[in-house]
Amino acid sequence: MSDAARLLAEIHAARALVRDGLRDAEASARPDHARLWAHATRAPHGPVDLATVRAIRSDPTTGRRYRTMLGAVALAHAPLAAAASDGAIVRRRVGAYALEILEAADGAPPLLVLRGEAGQMPRVIEAWLDDETARLDLGAATEGAVVLALDPAVPDAALLGRMLRDPACAVFLL
Amino acid sequence: MTGGYDERCAADLANVGDGRDLSRADRAWLARVVTGAVRPNRDKPVWDLAHALAALAGATGARDGRDLITLALDPGLARPAALAARFGDGPAVDDRGPVLGTAWSTSWAGLARLLALAEFVLTAEDLAQFATVASWLDELAAAPDPDSAAILAKRLARHLAAYRTAHLPLAPLERRFRALLTFLGGRRSVTDDDILDFWCTEMATGERPGFRTVAEHFVTFEAAGHLLDGLEALSTPAALDAHEGWDERLDAALGDLAAAEPAAALATLLADWPQGPKILTGAEREDLTDFLRLEPYHRTRPLTTLRAVSFGRVQSGIANRLRRGGGGADIAERASCLEAESYGALRARAGLLAAHLTRMLRIAAALRIADRDALPEAVRSALEAAEADLHRVRRAGFDDREGLSAGFAAAEPALLRLAEAAADLNRSLDGLAHQRPLDALFPADRGIFAVAFAAAYAREAAA
Repeated sequence: MSDAARLLAEIHAARALVRDGLRDAEASARPDHARLWAHATRAPHGPVDLATVRAIRSDPTTGRRYRTMLGAVALAHAPLAAAASDGAIVRRRVGAYALEILEAADGAPPLLVLRGEAGQMPRVIEAWLDDETARLDLGAATEGAVVLALDPAVPDAALLGRMLRDPACAVFLL
Repeated sequence: MTGGYDERCAADLANVGDGRDLSRADRAWLARVVTGAVRPNRDKPVWDLAHALAALAGATGARDGRDLITLALDPGLARPAALAARFGDGPAVDDRGPVLGTAWSTSWAGLARLLALAEFVLTAEDLAQFATVASWLDELAAAPDPDSAAILAKRLARHLAAYRTAHLPLAPLERRFRALLTFLGGRRSVTDDDILDFWCTEMATGERPGFRTVAEHFVTFEAAGHLLDGLEALSTPAALDAHEGWDERLDAALGDLAAAEPAAALATLLADWPQGPKILTGAEREDLTDFLRLEPYHRTRPLTTLRAVSFGRVQSGIANRLRRGGGGADIAERASCLEAESYGALRARAGLLAAHLTRMLRIAAALRIADRDALPEAVRSALEAAEADLHRVRRAGFDDREGLSAGFAAAEPALLRLAEAAADLNRSLDGLAHQRPLDALFPADRGIFAVAFAAAYAREAAA
């Protein structure tokens, strides 16, 4: 008897969900899960879907979903800098990895150095600050470290350098 | 919270259903799995899902959970044919679909549904558990065998149970249905007066449910009640061998239930009415919504329909006033039902609505068929009459021919269904009026509702 009532309640809810299903024009204009996932797992330098990029930047809900997916595929990620810091930071930890910016000297560009304690090294870094984002190839590691030139002449690299110095920047290592 | 689910759950399901462009039957299946309306074992679908993912991981050589997520989220794999084309020639399949070991298999159609469930468990709660589920898939991909599948199945069952606790407040519904079953004492057939009597007893217990809400519960009971006999057999030890294939039987029965439902609820059509020329005014839509909200009762139970419209409005007026803490007539006055609309007046209005919808359908035809030279004389003159009638309509948007044509084109499918429903309503109201004079029914019902309201809202009325 009690299971009969339970089954009727479950059927009632299921029918109502199908009949009255959410009709939200705003929701249906958003990129679906597959598009966000394709964007989160895209190959470096691969083609990107501009509508998805726009939605991730301009719609907070879409941006949050995208970063959730990115966090799930990342080897390590830091949604926000661990502690508030005054002024620019040049060193931070992201999971098992240490990131450090070595400032420019003698006309050479600043360097981003990434060290891992052990195991797999990330191949890609993606940073988020407000609605700005930069994604760069890290290249192969040598002796447990990856070194990337933050060349001011390369817009994405310069942007990454500027963002990483901001404590509020989110970092994903993929 | 009469529906038994919250907005998050509706949105989670809609995201999956819309993203994969699921058929109505598949949406209904997914909704049943999520609410738990699966017997004899609620967790059977996640057991199947875990095995399907293990089979796919083995067949595709998935390196990690990421590859499985890509399969689960791909709307290109939402159809059985696409799955058969992609995996049909690979390892771990038989002529129906994928297999895992010797003990588990499903069809391609089954796999398509299971992948929709996979997307749901990954993305539920707006992706709050995405990383957790992804890490479980990593473990499965590392060893895609029946043992890992069993572990994943247990995890997913817990995951879904927690989701139900958070987003599907089913306990009040379950209480209501238990009371309803007790009230009927094993009967499976129901009369209009049973619905009214049950509502009166529920009002007396202090919960004060809406008459419309209670009528909605009877709609579900009448649609699904025949399943309950089979359910009782399940709990009888003697009938253990009857378990075999029971889930398929229930699935088929519940699937029929979904298939028997119209493509979109009439109330949904009215709520989604397109912008444009005023084919229906706000008041007309409101009236139609009230008449048709208990679909299919507008065809099958004209008396309950009239009760719900007339006294349902009185009751929602009382509930609104209590919520707002004032405004309009006081509680005692509303509870007396002196303002309730008579059944005769409602029947007349239903007739006017049906006539209006028919008129609009004729105008839609005149707008659509411009080239009439080759048509038979009778059709041509009917269209010309509709054309002339169109110029007599004094409603917003009816003087702009182009906008009007576009508006009617957008509204026509909904218009057709509503006109049909309104005609059904009128037929059933005519039948009722023929058997039981409405002029005698209404005052008798008003007495019953007034007594129930007066008793249930006595405290507020006296305040």
